[in-house]
Amino acid sequence: MIGKEDVVKVLEKAVSLAKGFDLEVSLNAEDLSLTRFYENHIHQNLRRQDHVLTVRVIKDRKIGVAQANLLDDGSLRSAVMSALENAEVAGEEEDFPGLPKPQEIKEMASYVPATASYRPADRAEACGIVISMAKAKGLEAAGSFATVARETAVANTLGVRAYHASTEAFFRCIVQSGPNTGYADRLTRDVREITFEDVAREAIEKATLYPDAKDLPPGRYDTIFLEYALADLIRFLGMYSFGAEAKQQGRSFMASRMGQKVMGGNITIWDDGLDGRGLAVPFDSEGVPKKKVVLIDKGVAAGVVYDSRTAAKDGVKSTGHAGPSEGRFGPLPGNMFLAEGESTLDEMIANTSRGLLVTRFHYTHCPEPVRVIATGTTRDGTFLIEGGRIVARVKNLRFTESMVEAFSRVESISKSSRLTRDWWGTFSSVLPAVKIKEFTFTGATSF
Amino acid sequence: MIIELEKALGLAQKLGAEYADARYVTITQAPVSVSSDGAPKAAHYKSSGLGLRVLVDGAWGFAATPYLDPRSIEKVADEAVRIAAASARHKRGDGVSLSPLPPIRAKRQTPHKKDPLLVKAEDKVRLLKEVLDRAKKVPGVTRASASIMSYKEEKEFMSTDGRRVEQTSIHTGASLTVMARGTGDVQSRSFSDYQDAGYEFVESLDLAQKAETLGEEAVALLKAPVCPQGVTDLVMGGQMVALQIHESCGHPVELDRVLGQEATFAGTSFLTTDKKGNYRYGSPCVNIVADATAPGGLGTFGFDDEGVEAQRVDLVSEGVFVDYLTSRELAPRLGQESNGTMRAVGWNNIPLVRMTNINLEPGDWTLKEIIKDTKEGVFVETPKSWSLDDKRLNFHFGQEIAYEIKDGSLGKMLKNPAYTGVTPEFWGSCDAVAGKEKEEWHIWGTPGCAKGEPVQVIHVGHGAAPARFRKVRVGVGE
Repeated sequence: MIGKEDVVKVLEKAVSLAKGFDLEVSLNAEDLSLTRFYENHIHQNLRRQDHVLTVRVIKDRKIGVAQANLLDDGSLRSAVMSALENAEVAGEEEDFPGLPKPQEIKEMASYVPATASYRPADRAEACGIVISMAKAKGLEAAGSFATVARETAVANTLGVRAYHASTEAFFRCIVQSGPNTGYADRLTRDVREITFEDVAREAIEKATLYPDAKDLPPGRYDTIFLEYALADLIRFLGMYSFGAEAKQQGRSFMASRMGQKVMGGNITIWDDGLDGRGLAVPFDSEGVPKKKVVLIDKGVAAGVVYDSRTAAKDGVKSTGHAGPSEGRFGPLPGNMFLAEGESTLDEMIANTSRGLLVTRFHYTHCPEPVRVIATGTTRDGTFLIEGGRIVARVKNLRFTESMVEAFSRVESISKSSRLTRDWWGTFSSVLPAVKIKEFTFTGATSF
Repeated sequence: MIIELEKALGLAQKLGAEYADARYVTITQAPVSVSSDGAPKAAHYKSSGLGLRVLVDGAWGFAATPYLDPRSIEKVADEAVRIAAASARHKRGDGVSLSPLPPIRAKRQTPHKKDPLLVKAEDKVRLLKEVLDRAKKVPGVTRASASIMSYKEEKEFMSTDGRRVEQTSIHTGASLTVMARGTGDVQSRSFSDYQDAGYEFVESLDLAQKAETLGEEAVALLKAPVCPQGVTDLVMGGQMVALQIHESCGHPVELDRVLGQEATFAGTSFLTTDKKGNYRYGSPCVNIVADATAPGGLGTFGFDDEGVEAQRVDLVSEGVFVDYLTSRELAPRLGQESNGTMRAVGWNNIPLVRMTNINLEPGDWTLKEIIKDTKEGVFVETPKSWSLDDKRLNFHFGQEIAYEIKDGSLGKMLKNPAYTGVTPEFWGSCDAVAGKEKEEWHIWGTPGCAKGEPVQVIHVGHGAAPARFRKVRVGVGE
């Protein structure tokens, strides 16, 4: 950790170098420690500390960007000069509204000293719990355990000053039982909230339940998706549909259907970067405070998230969703929530005459972004439900399905949610489990 | 930086490391991009620092710092050793042992005429504007964007085995996307290619002509019928073959994946060690090599990040799977020595087994001959989406464009093509590979290969030519 005082000093120095132009400077500092294990032993273990300083210079409506990872005076000056030189060669940004003015930013307690000070020996001990429990049952465990401390800060020549410190702990494991695997993870700000024995038990149970995996032909099945799996399905909507840039360029179905019923009446999705149940950060990369944005309201297309540029284009205010250096996908919702329902997972299973339970997905992708047709394969525990109970493990299946249509067929939603991260690690969302009628599986695997 | 590297190694040994290697890396990038709905953008990124990897009691530790002052180096050595000591609590058997390497001193630099970082941003913007102008002239094009990559990696490596290597890699290339929007439909065509080369590579790409052609295709796709579902013969363009190699051969032959080291994120592999040398991966016309020495390849280098020389290795010979990509730690488990594929992104990541240039060797056909020889099928080109299971068996690939093939000729254009299959069956159905004409075989640069935790996105290459696959399921998902 650099510390707020020193971070502010660096940013003030950078801002003071702006003479005759506007400047925005952001600092993202990360102190990451990570332990990985497989075959019941640790094979990778690291700590890395770095900080990326991003300078954006605006001169005569022209924008130039530079990044550096050293924070001495010479590096700061060099970054500002590079950004200025790049602004000189850039064209005039007709739709750029200028840098944002200061707004009140909510203080959020996201930094947990216990997470930041977690030591290599602590991580080894935690991994050892899972390894020991797997070994005791003659199984093999693989996994990773990351503890991260971050500082994010933004300043600009119009007076924006924003600083936020946070921590994060992410523990995940896969337990292997013969050809079968089971998965569990925990994502939290506070490492003390992780009960490693529980994570191991969940993965072991998934790996050992019904060892003889059956072949199941592709087809349409009523399917229950655990939170891990739903994170991947909702990711597509976040990536391709809920950002203002995708809407403005006509790449999102929201462009032509705003205000219309697009999903089932039981679906409400919103983004809230200020809700501490998620990995909240109170401002975006422009230093604009995050606002709650309802994206789908009882099935109706209700809103998209904005940064300053896309907001100006639509004549609205930024919702505080600017990505780093105006990211390639434009503004995105990083803290999605799906409204809970009234079921329990057990009830969802009990109410399924024939269907599937999917734990999670692997390497999903989106061949058709406008219709949000997505594909991917299940992994680490896919089960057949018959007569209201789980009766068998099935070999992994490939789905190919429009997410807009799938979210129109959600039959039930669990009444509890959890913080979960998609396979890609793009978003961290707070999600329940859902059951979707007649979900389309188009292929099968041999394992 | 040699003094700092020596100091880091010395401190690590003093603190109990039986082996250590250190890298000082500086990465400088100057991306330039333009789009039809915004102003040209230019940026400059620089990142430098030192990464130290140590073996203590047979277990790994790694720490990295951007600073080179004595206190920072002492701290990084201390941390790396303490981390390794923690790893040793759950080490594998007797611990890690590395395949042997003699001491060496060597240097390598990308052969180039024009350093892309010295080419003025104005000149790059001018070139890209011409490209945009050509795309925008096509009636119906609603958006176009293009960019040029200029990337330099300067690296000094030193190990306690006496390996000392300095390398400078220069990577450059360009990408271009043209979009057309219709009622409820958006179609895009794109091109991208990158090389281990100077800016002369960008100048050779003829991007303006490509922009016009891609624009016409994007507009035409709006009115094209959807690729029908069915099982048919599939002819793939070179760029699509490159991605198929990447995903269904390059990743499954990474020995760390095979052994389970990447199970939690990237997955494992169907190519288990019992299959080495005896498993039919594809048809006899499938020959795949890993060639880190291929001129221009984005996966070309002099030495990997363990100090092992770049090599050319057979992976699949006449359809039979014969070898993996390995490291100094993992190769001995198969009774082998490393074939030099351990690479890290930047200074603050550990090296992992990574693809180099994974190339499908040229066949004895031309694309024209393949089409002429195909009674009924589909020709597809340019990847749009890719998805594989965690063992790299079942896959689904979407493409930007397709044409039907009827009686040996290309027919009407088709939109939203996709195909699906299972890796060994798919490569087993390959019965024709082009490349007889030299220009049809090309090493495509792929700068976005992701792997590891934390994720490292590395540059790799894939030599490929058009190829034909019999009886493939196409049109999936429509």
